[in-house]
Amino acid sequence: MNPPDARTWLMDHGDYLFRVARRQLHSDEQAEDAVQETLLAALSARDRYAGEASVRTWLTGILKHKIVDLIRRNVREIGLPLDEDGDEAVDLLFKQDGHWAEPLRPWGNPHAELELSQLRQVLTECADRLKPVMAQVFSLREVAGLETEEICKELNITPTNCWVLLHRARLYMRQCLELNGFSKVGAA
Amino acid sequence: MKWMTTCREATELASRAMDQRLPLSNRMALRLHLAICKNCTRFNRQLQEMRRLFREGTAASDDTASLAPEARQRIESALQKKLG
Repeated sequence: MNPPDARTWLMDHGDYLFRVARRQLHSDEQAEDAVQETLLAALSARDRYAGEASVRTWLTGILKHKIVDLIRRNVREIGLPLDEDGDEAVDLLFKQDGHWAEPLRPWGNPHAELELSQLRQVLTECADRLKPVMAQVFSLREVAGLETEEICKELNITPTNCWVLLHRARLYMRQCLELNGFSKVGAA
Repeated sequence: MKWMTTCREATELASRAMDQRLPLSNRMALRLHLAICKNCTRFNRQLQEMRRLFREGTAASDDTASLAPEARQRIESALQKKLG
């Protein structure tokens, strides 16, 4: 493969890779970094590209690794003591006896009744409000669809931590979506 | 196992069931709880709805996003530099 190919990659697949990265990293800046690192890695490894998969598939495979690297780095930077991350906000959702503090309202059909742009905005805003490490676990699981074992391994956390983080993230997300228009749409 | 699962515990089980197959005793406990609890049934349904929305709804959400010209420029220079 000749050097000019690298620029073709950027031209042909740059935006696509950026969108994939942005969806999982929730940050334009990090998504740009991921694209850059992907293309640089691809350049180093271009001899190994067997031409079996399409270039886009090959690049996307490299990108996935870069995304996970970035996510791992995020967690380290945050330096959250995962085991001691007690959570009062979750406590507020339940009464002492373990019952819901407030009844849950039905959602109707958000997909059909909210404007698509509104729906996306609510989803993104709620995800952004999660604590960073929670947002990462949540998006690796619910958006990227990684298995929890992979998430544990990549983020170097225990399975128990993973379940706890996912449980809390889901409770928050649900609450946030309800408060931001989901319960108003449609009937039960 | 206690004879009755609380809502808080039921949400833990429901959440975990989104990620792996629960052991039989947990599955039974969850099912029994959901049979009598409207709120948790709602919660359980909303977890699934949330996943659907995130996997389908946001998949297209960045369809229009594209690399900023400056970022493109930066990446191009980085590639250029690497190529020597």
